[in-house]
Amino acid sequence: MKIARSLPWIRRLRRCAVLAALLLLAAPLAAQWLDYPTPGVPKNADGTPNLNAPAPRTADRKPDLSGIWRPERNQKCPPDGCPDNQMSEQFLDFGFGLRGGIPYQPWAAALVKERSEQNGKDDPTSNCFPGGIVRLHTYPAFNKIVQTPRLIVILSEREVTYRQIFMDGRPLPVDPLPTWKGYSVGHWEGDTLVVESNGFRNEGIWLDRKGSPLTDAARITERIRRVNYGRMETQVTINDSKAYTAPFTVTLNEYLALDTELLDFVCLENNTDAAHIK
Amino acid sequence: MMSVARRALVTALGVILWTGSIVAHHSFAAEYDAKKPATLTGTVTRVEWTNPHVRFYIDVKDQAGVVTNWEFTMGAVNGLLRRGWTMKMLAPGDSVRVDGYLARDGSHLANARIVTLSDGRKMSGGTAADAPSN
Repeated sequence: MKIARSLPWIRRLRRCAVLAALLLLAAPLAAQWLDYPTPGVPKNADGTPNLNAPAPRTADRKPDLSGIWRPERNQKCPPDGCPDNQMSEQFLDFGFGLRGGIPYQPWAAALVKERSEQNGKDDPTSNCFPGGIVRLHTYPAFNKIVQTPRLIVILSEREVTYRQIFMDGRPLPVDPLPTWKGYSVGHWEGDTLVVESNGFRNEGIWLDRKGSPLTDAARITERIRRVNYGRMETQVTINDSKAYTAPFTVTLNEYLALDTELLDFVCLENNTDAAHIK
Repeated sequence: MMSVARRALVTALGVILWTGSIVAHHSFAAEYDAKKPATLTGTVTRVEWTNPHVRFYIDVKDQAGVVTNWEFTMGAVNGLLRRGWTMKMLAPGDSVRVDGYLARDGSHLANARIVTLSDGRKMSGGTAADAPSN
């Protein structure tokens, strides 16, 4: 090694490598983050991504949920065109399409009515608070799932934060510390990842922009299935007897986002909207 | 009292059938008035590539020659970059036209729905739109 270091061509090579690394670091933001090709994507005959291909599997033959996912954009475009950012209807109304609607307890129905009439001005996300685990599936930001056999992590650009799903067989806590995201444990039932969560804050978590509440009595079950390469379907069951008269289930879709990366959304950078919200 | 310039701006556009919209970070209707569409043209004075919203400011001159600085909000940084924006598209000194909606509180603030750049390109401000049934 000592001899090799002293050779001029080795030194030149090393200088070239350092220069190349610096040039790469200095590449424009968009090139750095947004254009990196997602590896391993199945292709159609014409070279386009085949998002209907079967879902990939991990080394232990479980469905592999890894990847960057975005919520469904099932809003209809307005009559004058579609230049805007279409979102998930369930982001606005978690009970969208739910037969009979959300079974609110009377106090919860009154609260949602009041919040709706106020245009959802007090939505905690407006003040840069977390959206909770349900809105991870509907908020128009990207999430990255990192899957290991004993732990699944969901990185969210929305809050520049994480969610952990423990896969090591531990039970849910009996007397959990209330948090925004709660405590989640998961297991596989065939090709479906079943996640049970409890330990939510009693206030501050809205399921949607209407203001459907969640309380500390809530237990949330998510049945997550990667239907094919490009789509992930989650059946979310809310069991919260304090806020709702019966458990109810909403089905949400998320789609794989190719050739992109998570981009920080630090809400507190310049949140001057609050002063204008009425 | 609403100034002549403001009134002109408010009435500048025809009725847009789209009457409700939101942005993801907060409710659109809590901050902006969908019944007050406006078109403003002016010179960019400042651009802030920040979250939760990208903001820019333009000097707008009314018919009497009075210059007012208006603030515009767009979507989040990540959303705009994914919609084709780059951080160099807007710079102080650029002439732009903005189609958007005025703030409910009457301040010189508006949501930028469509930004027409000085080279004529029309860029979406990334407003997340609600398409109500009405």
